[in-house]
Amino acid sequence: MMQAVKQTSPYIRKDVSTKRMMTDVLIALMPVVIFSIYRFGWDAVVRILVSLVVMIGLEAIAFGMMQKPKKADKWFERLKSRYEKYTINNITAPAVSAVIFAMIIPSKLPIYAVIMGAAFGILVAKMLFGGLGSNIFNIAAAGRIFIGLALTDMFTGKYVGVDMIAGGTALTAIRTGAGFPYTLNSYPLLDMFLGNIPGSMGEISALAILLGMVYLLIRRSADFRVIVSSLVTFVVLMLIAGFKLYPDQAFSYMLFHVLSGGILFGVVFMITDPVTSPVTKPGRWIYGLLVASLVVIIRLFGAYPEGVAFALLFSNMFVPLIDYPQWATNKFKPGFFIGYGVAFVALALIVYFGVGGAV
Amino acid sequence: MIAKTRCIPDGKKELKKLPTEHYTEAKYLYYPVTSARCPEGETCVRGGQFVKIGEVIGTRKGAFFEQPMHATVSGEVLGNEKHIDQSGKMVDCLIVKNDFKYELHESIQDRTDAEIDALTKDDFVEIVKEAGLVGLGGSAFPSYIKLSTKDQIDVVLANGVECEPNLISDYGLMMTNPRAVIEGLIFAMKASGAKKGVIAIKKKYKEIHERLEFCLHEFSQYDIKVQSVGNFYPQGWELMTIKNALGIKIPQGELLSKYGVLNFNVSTLASIYAAVRHRLPVLERYISLSGNGIHNKNFRARIGTLMTELIASAGGYKEPEKPKVLILGGPMMGVNVTSDDIVMTHTTTSLIVQNDETLIEEPCVHCASCVYSCPVEIQPVQIMNAYKVRDKDMLKKLEVNKCIECGLCSFVCPSKIHLTEHMRKAKSFASK
Repeated sequence: MMQAVKQTSPYIRKDVSTKRMMTDVLIALMPVVIFSIYRFGWDAVVRILVSLVVMIGLEAIAFGMMQKPKKADKWFERLKSRYEKYTINNITAPAVSAVIFAMIIPSKLPIYAVIMGAAFGILVAKMLFGGLGSNIFNIAAAGRIFIGLALTDMFTGKYVGVDMIAGGTALTAIRTGAGFPYTLNSYPLLDMFLGNIPGSMGEISALAILLGMVYLLIRRSADFRVIVSSLVTFVVLMLIAGFKLYPDQAFSYMLFHVLSGGILFGVVFMITDPVTSPVTKPGRWIYGLLVASLVVIIRLFGAYPEGVAFALLFSNMFVPLIDYPQWATNKFKPGFFIGYGVAFVALALIVYFGVGGAV
Repeated sequence: MIAKTRCIPDGKKELKKLPTEHYTEAKYLYYPVTSARCPEGETCVRGGQFVKIGEVIGTRKGAFFEQPMHATVSGEVLGNEKHIDQSGKMVDCLIVKNDFKYELHESIQDRTDAEIDALTKDDFVEIVKEAGLVGLGGSAFPSYIKLSTKDQIDVVLANGVECEPNLISDYGLMMTNPRAVIEGLIFAMKASGAKKGVIAIKKKYKEIHERLEFCLHEFSQYDIKVQSVGNFYPQGWELMTIKNALGIKIPQGELLSKYGVLNFNVSTLASIYAAVRHRLPVLERYISLSGNGIHNKNFRARIGTLMTELIASAGGYKEPEKPKVLILGGPMMGVNVTSDDIVMTHTTTSLIVQNDETLIEEPCVHCASCVYSCPVEIQPVQIMNAYKVRDKDMLKKLEVNKCIECGLCSFVCPSKIHLTEHMRKAKSFASK
């Protein structure tokens, strides 16, 4: 006699998996990782490995502590029962966070600082919120901000070597150094595009990042909406600022900002993180606008030279608001276009009248 | 992956290649006395009585309509037995022993052209009612109620999209008997007073397009056209078919007739043709056995045939030691049954047998594939979250009642979360 199983419709599933999505991000990160190893050698390798071990290891430990063990006589069996639900995603997901985290720190950052950041990211930002899918804040950004605030000296205090400075050294130069048009002499745009500049390990080569972006978009493992929305916002606002500040070089001013700091890396690998994104199409356009405009505002008016991670964490807090079912819908309603347009124009005016201190 | 999914692998190509067997060997035929829409019913024949094809053997009673049952073979009435019908429930069935003579009842006589021309609107409705015709696309809604609408009908849509994977019943019908579909459409137009008829089929069915067009040359006095629509799922959902084939956007929950549209499955139209022209009820349907757990085969079989016979005739199950999932209908919206003791009814067009695969649910990563893919533009993931905390107000705000249970949200989920099941539970919870 044949054994029939009870199920409910639908009975077929698409050939996709969360594992594939995570693996895709890891593959997309490869050009950046390879470039960072090429550029920084063992420094990069060690930091990536430390970050991987800390994140995957701590997730495994925290995961086990969060599960209820079954009653068994042997301690080993009780331990084993805690890991019944442990899957490949408990390795790939923290691996993605770990590599991203390693890519947004400087190559000379002390190892204990790397461990602290990775541990904070995985434990506080992820596991305390409930693990995969439940985190509100981007894990890598949370870890980066934590060590950025706790160990500020390591990032901005000691200008021993060029490579020690992170968060966009070209950006630091524009504020504390010679000022914009002259920074182009020490940091030509082509070098910035290829990654021949100091900075955080994965953020410097725009070329490697763009390769990863193309892969992610082809595989549809990232949503193009956040990428387009944030890049367009960033480019337009920076063009306006450039037009006001350096009318002759507005375009290269914009390019300078796009290629410096963590904006490109953040746009491709961090704000596309689906877990911390809204779940509707209009919501993702709004999210992109929010992150990019915050980065612009921090760069132009803020106390920090760079602010992708800050902008991201700040925007993460707005995601539940954007997703609130009272108004969240997957349809593009007139209200969305009006709101998006008004916000864009308002931001453009703020930037235009705000930069340069002149009113 | 983070994108709208509309194309699903349909497995029809392989099924179409298989031959279709006309199965007439059934020794006993079983006629459910009740159905999902008709909770009560009674028979009007006695054990030992001899019945012929097309003879009324009983009546099923619904809330606001009655539906006659017809014998589909000639033979002796034996008694009652319980079997599973299309809805997956055990129902009482009347047994008729086949004498293999296939004698037609005296009432089954063709109408002449002159007789048909003389039929009024009310006559058509009456004929459809007497023949017990129901929506053969799966709804089993009585066709005469649709036809007897008081609203002004402009266009009758013949829905031949059949967007579910593995279903080729309508395809087989349109391929072998396009004339019945077209004439049925004409009768439906006459019955409803519509001037226009449109047959909607999938774009990729070029062969059907040609056949229908060729056949339409004979009926050039009628305004009927064949309209190709996209090869998407759920294109066969009536509101989507109407939108894409006619360009009329009808909000959910509104009556189609208010917008001047009537929508019939092509098989229903063919049954209207048979009822009007030949005074015949639905006697046979195309049915396919598919899936990786069974020897695949297509049949044309009498209503009332037991599925176990068809399965045996096709060659039985593959790998019988593995647990199986039995599905009546398509793999996206079909009904799950736990026994193969199934009797063929009007809406039984497919049995899918799959080897059971255990899916492990991962946590939701908010990729929003379900939101992007939802054809009614609601947000499955938000509904699931609201249902988990039993937030009734939120569920209403999220318009959970719009859900048509097409199954796409579960289908696309990379974490293999069974969203459609959450939708169903949320729906019943919200309406409590």
